[in-house]
Amino acid sequence: MKNIKEKELKGIYALVIGLFLVFLLVPILLLLGKSFECEGGLGLSHYVDVLTGKGFLAAFGRSLWIASVSAVLTTFLAFILAYTIHYTNVPKGFKKFIRLAAVVPMLLPTITYGFAIIYSFGKQGLLTRLFGRQLFDIYGMNGLLIGYVIYTLPISFMLLSNTMSFIDKKFMIVSRIMGDKPLTTFFGTVIRPLAGTLAASFVQCFFLCFTDFGIPASVGGRYEVAAAVLYNEMLGSVPDFHRGAVVAMCMLIPSVLSIALLRYLEKYNIRYSRISEIERKKGPARDFCFGLLSGTILTGVLCIFAVLFIVPVVQEWPYQMHLTFRHISSVFADSRLVEVYKNSILVAVLTAFLGTLTVYGAALASARSRLPEAWKAVIDAIALVTNTIPGMVIGIAFLFAFSGTPLQNTFLIIIICNVVHFFSTPYLMMKGALSKMNASWETTARLMGDTWFRTIACVVTPNAMSTLLEVFSYYFVNAMVTVSAVIFIAGARTMVITTKIKELQYYTKFNEIFVLSLLILATNLAAKALFGYLASCRERKNKEQK
Amino acid sequence: MLELKQIKKSYDGVTILNNMNLKIEEGEIVSILGPSGCGKTTLLNLILGITDADSGEIYFNGQNITDVPMEARGFNIVFQDYALFPNLNVYKNITYGLRNKPGISTSQEVEELIGLLGLREHLSKRIDQLSGGQKQRVALARTMVMKPKILLLDEPLSALDGVIKESIKEKIKEIAREFKLTTIIVTHDPEEALTLSDKVLIVNQGSIAQFGTPDEIISSPADSFVREFILNQLEIKRNHIFTLFRGEMESGLSSNKDADRIVKQAV
Repeated sequence: MKNIKEKELKGIYALVIGLFLVFLLVPILLLLGKSFECEGGLGLSHYVDVLTGKGFLAAFGRSLWIASVSAVLTTFLAFILAYTIHYTNVPKGFKKFIRLAAVVPMLLPTITYGFAIIYSFGKQGLLTRLFGRQLFDIYGMNGLLIGYVIYTLPISFMLLSNTMSFIDKKFMIVSRIMGDKPLTTFFGTVIRPLAGTLAASFVQCFFLCFTDFGIPASVGGRYEVAAAVLYNEMLGSVPDFHRGAVVAMCMLIPSVLSIALLRYLEKYNIRYSRISEIERKKGPARDFCFGLLSGTILTGVLCIFAVLFIVPVVQEWPYQMHLTFRHISSVFADSRLVEVYKNSILVAVLTAFLGTLTVYGAALASARSRLPEAWKAVIDAIALVTNTIPGMVIGIAFLFAFSGTPLQNTFLIIIICNVVHFFSTPYLMMKGALSKMNASWETTARLMGDTWFRTIACVVTPNAMSTLLEVFSYYFVNAMVTVSAVIFIAGARTMVITTKIKELQYYTKFNEIFVLSLLILATNLAAKALFGYLASCRERKNKEQK
Repeated sequence: MLELKQIKKSYDGVTILNNMNLKIEEGEIVSILGPSGCGKTTLLNLILGITDADSGEIYFNGQNITDVPMEARGFNIVFQDYALFPNLNVYKNITYGLRNKPGISTSQEVEELIGLLGLREHLSKRIDQLSGGQKQRVALARTMVMKPKILLLDEPLSALDGVIKESIKEKIKEIAREFKLTTIIVTHDPEEALTLSDKVLIVNQGSIAQFGTPDEIISSPADSFVREFILNQLEIKRNHIFTLFRGEMESGLSSNKDADRIVKQAV
């Protein structure tokens, strides 16, 4: 078997490695260099400058604090949602609602959350008017906290719900029958197997909050966090690229630490030999409580987004409240805004195509080849690194690396940036799916006279189709909502919706912001529906074949 | 004595068990035998108390336990994949129940169980260091420490291979005899059921096809299902084995004839 040369896979491997060499390693090294570059050589003067200057360390500390608080809160709320689905007897329809509603925030850019919060809880906000008074001051800590929780809830929920579905529920029976008290059963058979994931959820949420730019950009106010400092250093009134590079490098530290922690936590996951469902114990009181709690959490989230649908269709919020479609039609009449929407779609579709190709190639090379283990480890390392680097840092690194090259101000650079930035999750999905497939397919097909490409096209790809669709959809949705990296590399001609929203904020054109956000939401929902439909078509076809 | 009266159960409109009536005497080993989907696991869950019946009643030693919750029934189960706690070692798994009910088994009784099941040299091992047969014995010990009034076993042999299967079979019989324990075993394998138990309950599509001793089932199968699906399988197996041992059988036959002669003389 060793004689098989796998020329094709080696070629694909080289292409993938080349892509990340040019578009990840080089830019990051340039960024590192920039942070040490002083007058007349290398030195630490910019680091000293930034770290001793007032503001940055304080902002850094605030970032750490608020990201931790948000992560704890989110994990707790997500646990309630996931527990309601997996451990209570609430009606099936309600469980479906939880599953869907919990992930809605993912379909919107984070920068929109902030504006939604302002229009919900602000002085003239929807909820403020419903309650008759402002509930709390939204600019600063409170607003950030709400935004971060909404932002990270879907991810935390998916993590916890996924692990819960892999917990063998039979252990609950054993625990009860062995005479454990309910609390002991709960800790022994729910919390203990979840411990690794709970910690992972905390770390992941922390990482996301720490590196997000959209939320502080909209509701941060005077409560300045590290991401806002970075933005101001780079694109503020007095840009200083050297100081920006230093801040970017500093932001890497907590990210690297949190990902290292995630890897370490993996070994605390319990693996069950098989997963069995049991009939859940009757508990109407439990069902009612968790149903109510979950309902409240999700209503809260959806309420905040309700303004998105209301503000753009009234004359002038909150003074002239009659219904009008003027704002919506004016957005569609504005050729520049329509252009921006087209740009976004173009970028998202091409990102999804290129991203899926890259991920598929990388996963084939690492999961279905006999390439040396060390080579495969390089791809895994790339996935780890892309997971570690905040979008803003990638954006700035791209800014340094490709300014003045023909790539500057092109769609291609935005697309490549997205492909690199979001590589990690879809790669792991794809690799998992490919390595679960029968390892002998390629050999069998080759013995029957297939070329490698034919085998991939006729056997592997059809069987990987549902995962490929998921990967495509993941890239599409993320390319639609991302703001952190593209804000630094989108030019006037290559503006996408999210960067346009940032610009509109400057002119306080909130009607346009909301209409554009709704466009993103509608597009993502349509995309999700389409991919879901395609996936179900395939499933039906498979069943019929059986 | 365990008694099921007019037990009915359906899921989402599909009838799983239909008017089930059953009496199991104390100390009996009873196998529930049937093809997958016949309702045997549901029957097990009903007896254990995981699932409630739609209608009908369950009595244990004359007491109605239909509405008694699982924990209070005092029955116990060993699951097919053993469900041992992966974070605890063998000894801690075995003595798990003692934390909650100290003194339910004395330390001497625990020691005896460990000896009986041959687990002494494995006590400090992790669960994932054990073979399938060892796991099965640990799970049996953990359950026996709780002194269950009825022992339920869900496919206890299906994950084990040849020789170990036979030795676990012997252990189950030994335990049932030693503790005079009513033991109910779910299985899909006729050979297992007929060689392991005092009585066999054959279930087909939610109803009892036959309930009797292995001899009764072999000599007078109740209906075509028992004949075609249960006996037929055994006959095929028997023929295979006869073919394999043809040489030895021929010499064995002569000794059988000898035995016949001796019996006749005695009569």
